[in-house]
Amino acid sequence: MSKELIRLQNLCMAYDGETILNNINLYINDKEFLTLLGPSGCGKTTTLRIIGGFTTPVSGDVFFDGARINDVPPHKRQINTVFQKYALFPHLDVYENVAFGLRMQRVPDPNNKRGAKLSNEEIDRRVMEMLESVSLKGFERRRVDALSGGQQQRVAIARALVNRPKVLLLDEPLGALDLKLRKDMQIELKRIQQQVGITFIYVTHDQEEALTMSDTIVIMDKGSIQQIGTPEDIYNEPKNAFVADFIGESNIIDGVMVKDKVVKMYGRLFPCLDGGFAENEPVDVVIRPEDIDIVPVEQGQLTGTVTNVTFKGMQYDIIVDFRGFKWLIQTTDHSPVGSKIGIKIDPDGIHVMKKSEYSGMFGDYSSFSDEYDELNGADGAEGQGDET
Amino acid sequence: MKKNRRIGSRFLIGLVFLFLYAPIALLIIFSFNEGDSGAVWKGFSLHWYASMLRNRLIIESVYMTLLVSLLATVIATFAGTFAAIGLYSLPRRRRDAILTVNNIPMMNADIVTGVSLCLFFVAFFQFWGRFARWFNGAQTAFALPERLTLGFGTLLLAHIAFNIPYVILNVAPKLRQMDGNLMDAAQDLGCTWMQGFWKVMLPEIKPGIISGALIAFTMSIDDFVISYFTAGSSTSTLAMTIYGMTKRRVTPEINAVSTLLFLTVLVLLVIVNIGEIRQERRKRNASLQGVPLGEKLRRFFATRAGLYAKRGLTAAGVAAFVAAVLFLTRETQSIPVVNVCSWGEYIDTDLIDQFEAETGIRVNYQTAESNETMYSLLKSGGADYDVIVPSDYMIAQLIEEGMLSELNYDNIPNFQLIDPRFRNLSYDPENKYTVPYAWGTLGIIYNPTMIDGEITSWGALYDERNAGKVLLINNSRDAIGEALMYLGYSVNTTDESEIRAAYQVLDDASRRGVFQGKVMDEVFQTMEGGNAAIASYYAGDYLSMLENNEDLRYVIPDEGANWFVDAMCILKDAPHMEEAEAWINFIASTEASLANMDYIGYASPNAEALEQYPAYYEELYGEPMEPEIYDILVTPPEVLARCEMYENSPPDTRALYNRLWIQLGI
Repeated sequence: MSKELIRLQNLCMAYDGETILNNINLYINDKEFLTLLGPSGCGKTTTLRIIGGFTTPVSGDVFFDGARINDVPPHKRQINTVFQKYALFPHLDVYENVAFGLRMQRVPDPNNKRGAKLSNEEIDRRVMEMLESVSLKGFERRRVDALSGGQQQRVAIARALVNRPKVLLLDEPLGALDLKLRKDMQIELKRIQQQVGITFIYVTHDQEEALTMSDTIVIMDKGSIQQIGTPEDIYNEPKNAFVADFIGESNIIDGVMVKDKVVKMYGRLFPCLDGGFAENEPVDVVIRPEDIDIVPVEQGQLTGTVTNVTFKGMQYDIIVDFRGFKWLIQTTDHSPVGSKIGIKIDPDGIHVMKKSEYSGMFGDYSSFSDEYDELNGADGAEGQGDET
Repeated sequence: MKKNRRIGSRFLIGLVFLFLYAPIALLIIFSFNEGDSGAVWKGFSLHWYASMLRNRLIIESVYMTLLVSLLATVIATFAGTFAAIGLYSLPRRRRDAILTVNNIPMMNADIVTGVSLCLFFVAFFQFWGRFARWFNGAQTAFALPERLTLGFGTLLLAHIAFNIPYVILNVAPKLRQMDGNLMDAAQDLGCTWMQGFWKVMLPEIKPGIISGALIAFTMSIDDFVISYFTAGSSTSTLAMTIYGMTKRRVTPEINAVSTLLFLTVLVLLVIVNIGEIRQERRKRNASLQGVPLGEKLRRFFATRAGLYAKRGLTAAGVAAFVAAVLFLTRETQSIPVVNVCSWGEYIDTDLIDQFEAETGIRVNYQTAESNETMYSLLKSGGADYDVIVPSDYMIAQLIEEGMLSELNYDNIPNFQLIDPRFRNLSYDPENKYTVPYAWGTLGIIYNPTMIDGEITSWGALYDERNAGKVLLINNSRDAIGEALMYLGYSVNTTDESEIRAAYQVLDDASRRGVFQGKVMDEVFQTMEGGNAAIASYYAGDYLSMLENNEDLRYVIPDEGANWFVDAMCILKDAPHMEEAEAWINFIASTEASLANMDYIGYASPNAEALEQYPAYYEELYGEPMEPEIYDILVTPPEVLARCEMYENSPPDTRALYNRLWIQLGI
């Protein structure tokens, strides 16, 4: 990627004595699509508002293009925002909403200290161009509250992009749309980002959205960054139980790192690819449901009893009890409830993490349905986060 | 069964509305009455509206009301809107707490608000006086005014204070409905906060601001209680003037003014409601096509020509507002002034104009409701009158307390015209402080068609044969005084047993159901309408009742009656001594006395005027004055000899009166 555009340094934020952000350090590159991902209340929106200039941090600095911009008001930042629920101006029509930023703009003018306004022709050209690129031509004179959710969404994007910002901030922009429209808009947004070639900073609690669109994902919880990485890194190499659980489905098992490339679970040794731990260090072991092979009992590294089977179309989700700890396994083979099965895990299917404050909180599927509900709640109001 | 219930509920609703609106309807109808009664219809006429427009007290108080309401509305709307916006930037819990506090003044009794503001202002003035004296003593470069009084400034502050909660209450819901990110979005798109406020927030909350302003304006126009306590002596709003007018004689002018006031408030409320309904409808129809008028206008204003039109309209609006304020303030410029306090309907207001034209002195004419309220206003330090017109016994008290200024009779040559009978009276034995204004008697008014025979004694008021037909005057001094006269005692006795005996007379009559009730102003309607047979009241008021009911008679009983003198005095340290003496001299003149006598229906103390009045009357009305009427207006000396004037009673006598009066349950 290209050069660094925004840097957040030791950012802290508190509100009414409650810590919202705890020492955030992050840099964002030019033309990058970066997603701040986390459950509600994790501080992602606050981070976005600090970048936009709507909130002043308690301590720490924000740099833009190398200059400190803590005290620069929002209207002087080369940043525009697509707000949650869009915040369109209800008293203006579509055209005037989009033209709003342009009408406020001043270009340097030797004859006028405050600068000159853009000409009406220039404004008209840019607004119409923008409306065309978001397929809203012909809607210029509509009242914004007479538009559908998707159309409002596009007005909001057009209203921000028409100002040609260097950075576009998007605060859960798809949250209010239905599933189908959401999928379309994800692709549309990615297309727009590549077309205009600017930095997008995107806030969402939907892990699927984040994985689909982002160049970089920043996972946040309780005001701290848990992990920064590409979608692949985050999925394959989660840093702790929180990340592993938040991104996709994970079985997280207590283990002990006997030595490099050997981890002990259930009293058995498993070969793996991880190293760099102390001898006999307790660890969390992540095993993704799709990385588990079902084998006949006698060939299995572990044996367990099937307690639940759900048909998912492409695969079955089965819950298997291994000595009281329940795993989720995704398989194309049908195993009836009550049957004994053996499993085998390849070394590259095992990911070993250091113990963290999140250890023991996630990764057990014993209360299967509850767990699913919880996941749905965390993944979005519409609840379709269960298909990764 | 169901049908019955529906009819029943309709009947109830009808009854409720009847109770609500019948009195207002009656008021509106009688504002068009040809006659001057509130009970007897004498044909349609607009002349009360005409006379209202000529009544300078009314017109001045309309100016004052509009000025205060306009200024208070503008300032309160401005302050309230920003206060509401500020509130919405607070955390929810603190905001809700403050909004609750905001609602308390609206729920609070006006009387509490009024009294507390009054106390607050007076306390501040005292503090300010001390500060200013210290400040002026400490340096000479700049002099601060040492004496502040209640007046326009405090009235305006009070109105602003009680209007702000209404504005906040109307703006707050609009802010709550507004998307919390709108202002962020505006700033995000290049606005400063202030630009964002004008371009985004204002259009969103405008309906709330407008309805808040209209309600504030309505409240301001409508307010009586708070104004009453904060306006001081030199300022009077319309509601206060109407109240003052009802104290002496109820004229249908009040009906006319009240009708207009009612219609004004009604129109404002209708505007507020229509605005809300239209807004609702627009919201519901948002998805429908078609261009509403507002939208067309908005588009027009977006064009270049429209921009100029908009600027022009704004400028015109601001200019109109400034012009209105200037027009309304023109009354209060710095020309010589005299502040006069008298009773409602107690002067021919043409005289005020005449005096102003002759002397160039502006008369600030206010009315008080009774001697007692005027006294307490003076004592509280909230008043800055020059001339007051108290009654005899009150004058004695004021002199005793050193509150009056000695007059320079060289400046009041017309004092020589005062009939010697009305000089050196008991309240001012050396006549150093007063010039009499008017005098009269308090006798019995009765309707001979409703009782047997003529009345010659106060005993008629307590006679069982008249049970249920007698109105007792609602004033302890008068009511007990009448009984004292009936028993042959002096009205000024301090002998407790005599006073208790008089009370016993009233109590017995009351137990036997003689009295219909205690009345003051209601006496007019009740007697004119033939709903009571006997009442005690003033001769001057009898004459105006006679116009609506020719059966009525007036008599001064054989035992005698109370006679009173109201006299003009100047308060100690009055700021406009010279102007005050000029005013007194003018009013004492024969011409003014004649005009006043004709207008107010009380006799003047001016000897020439008393003599010339019949001729004056004949010239004015084209018919000779009946001698009996003249004798009622100007009590003949031999009758007056039977009458006794109230003297200032000692405190324990006054306390006894009060105790007995409360005891007397009618």
